Amino acid sequence: MKTATKSEAKVKSAGKPKPADKLDLYSKYSKEYAASTTPALVTISPATYLSISGKGAPGGPAFTEAIGALYGVAFTVKMTRKFGGKRDYVVSKLEGRWPCFKEGELPGDKEQWIWQMMIRTPDFVKEQEIRQAVAVLEKRGKGTGADRVQLETIDEGLCVQALHVGPYEKERETMCKMGTLAESKGFKLSGVHHEIYLSDPRRVAPEKLKTILRHPVEPED
Amino acid sequence: MRSVTLQDYKRRILPVLSHIQDHLDDRLPLNDLAALACFSPYHFHRIFTGMVGESVKEYVRRLRLERAAGRLRAGSKSVVEIAFEAGYESHEAFSRSFKVVFGTSPTQFRRTRQEQIASASGLHFRPGITVRRFRAVRGGKSMNVEIQQLRPMRVAYLRHIGPYNAVGSTWDRLLTMMGKDGYLGGSPMMLGICHDDPEVTPPSRIRYDACIEVDDRFKPAEGIQVQVVAGGEYARTTHTGPYNNLGKTYMEFLGHWLPRSGRELRDAPCFEVYLNDPQSTPPEELLTDIYAPLMEHPSAPERGHYEDGDEVRGKSEVSREAKAR
Repeated sequence: MKTATKSEAKVKSAGKPKPADKLDLYSKYSKEYAASTTPALVTISPATYLSISGKGAPGGPAFTEAIGALYGVAFTVKMTRKFGGKRDYVVSKLEGRWPCFKEGELPGDKEQWIWQMMIRTPDFVKEQEIRQAVAVLEKRGKGTGADRVQLETIDEGLCVQALHVGPYEKERETMCKMGTLAESKGFKLSGVHHEIYLSDPRRVAPEKLKTILRHPVEPED
Repeated sequence: MRSVTLQDYKRRILPVLSHIQDHLDDRLPLNDLAALACFSPYHFHRIFTGMVGESVKEYVRRLRLERAAGRLRAGSKSVVEIAFEAGYESHEAFSRSFKVVFGTSPTQFRRTRQEQIASASGLHFRPGITVRRFRAVRGGKSMNVEIQQLRPMRVAYLRHIGPYNAVGSTWDRLLTMMGKDGYLGGSPMMLGICHDDPEVTPPSRIRYDACIEVDDRFKPAEGIQVQVVAGGEYARTTHTGPYNNLGKTYMEFLGHWLPRSGRELRDAPCFEVYLNDPQSTPPEELLTDIYAPLMEHPSAPERGHYEDGDEVRGKSEVSREAKAR
């Protein structure tokens, strides 16, 4: 399914402890990211994301351009802040929301897939910084698609969540377990399917890919 | 022309082995040893360590102990004298090392025992080292290596001089300077050029370039320089795991894979490409591609450079491989 977590900035900080003031959102909200292969209900607090939406097959030109734009903006914003002596943070992993994901899978025609690719970003990053980063990228001729990157706050509330290990095509099995758990607690799946990509599909074997699957729930009527 | 074989690699290491044996008490500069084997000084030590299963230093130390063992049995020199000849500064230090490998103190040994220390390569302190006796050490698992044709790549870089595990701050500076100006857009390659082997060069003198791929429009500024990484053929393998284990992969790559590959290395440093972000990736999932520059291939690729008698059982590998960088 989805591919190309386009290469990000790689800081070679072997064994170096992270400075205390460097914010790592996945650590700060570790309960919201601690998924096991056994599904669980988790309350997700409102979160801010850098986000870009589009349509087309993962790995295709539209998707690849969007991921490139997203990471370009993410790292330009971060490094600009860092240069300015503002609070530093870790650029989080790639996430995605898939509105047409229904009944545990996506439609057969990949070109019809609609997606929203996202990187969770600290609340202290403001819209103005995004626009400034886009301008800098455009000046360098690296701004393709960057102007479509938005800041968005998403409030998912109560969700069912599980760690899926294996190819994206086999998410259905994990989704079934998630649906069963939700039902057993008196809930049903509702809202938009959300995935958090812990592995890089370009380099990690499909059977070893780790993805957190998250789906909001609402009380059963 | 034919491809180089493992036998060729062994023949080239042989004069080095003889030279070391004849000069156990002398300084043995690596550049001289590399020249004896006609290897680029960039790569010599890793090839040696991989094939012999010991670094030059470890090899010298073992041979000195074996020589000392012979002298203990044969002559009438005092243990202290023999300890000094073996390069030890005290009787105690010598006895300690000796006991570790021979399982007995030098004095007890005088009366009994063998004079050879177990070695993966089959090499010992004795006259007439031959290719036949030299078992090139081989890794337990096969390596995944791809040959790739690379175009020359223009990179912006900052040079780090100092211990490898401190390159993080150099990367921080480079990424901040480049990032604020928009040069991290378009997913540029991030690579590290290692000019020195951390097993050989003292930590304070290791030279390492943190590099980000740039196009022609980038102008050197604010201490950031530009260089071009040569194009051509490279062998590439992927290291999975923490950066401080890269040394082990280098050694298997250049010491086990290369001598059996039919290929030779160019006189240029290897480089590393970092594929994921160490800030958001657990160390055991970090991926690093290592590129080794190949000389032009003399002929069409051949198969069958593996030779009988070179297999070495896995056990002795463990302690050697524990020496990651």
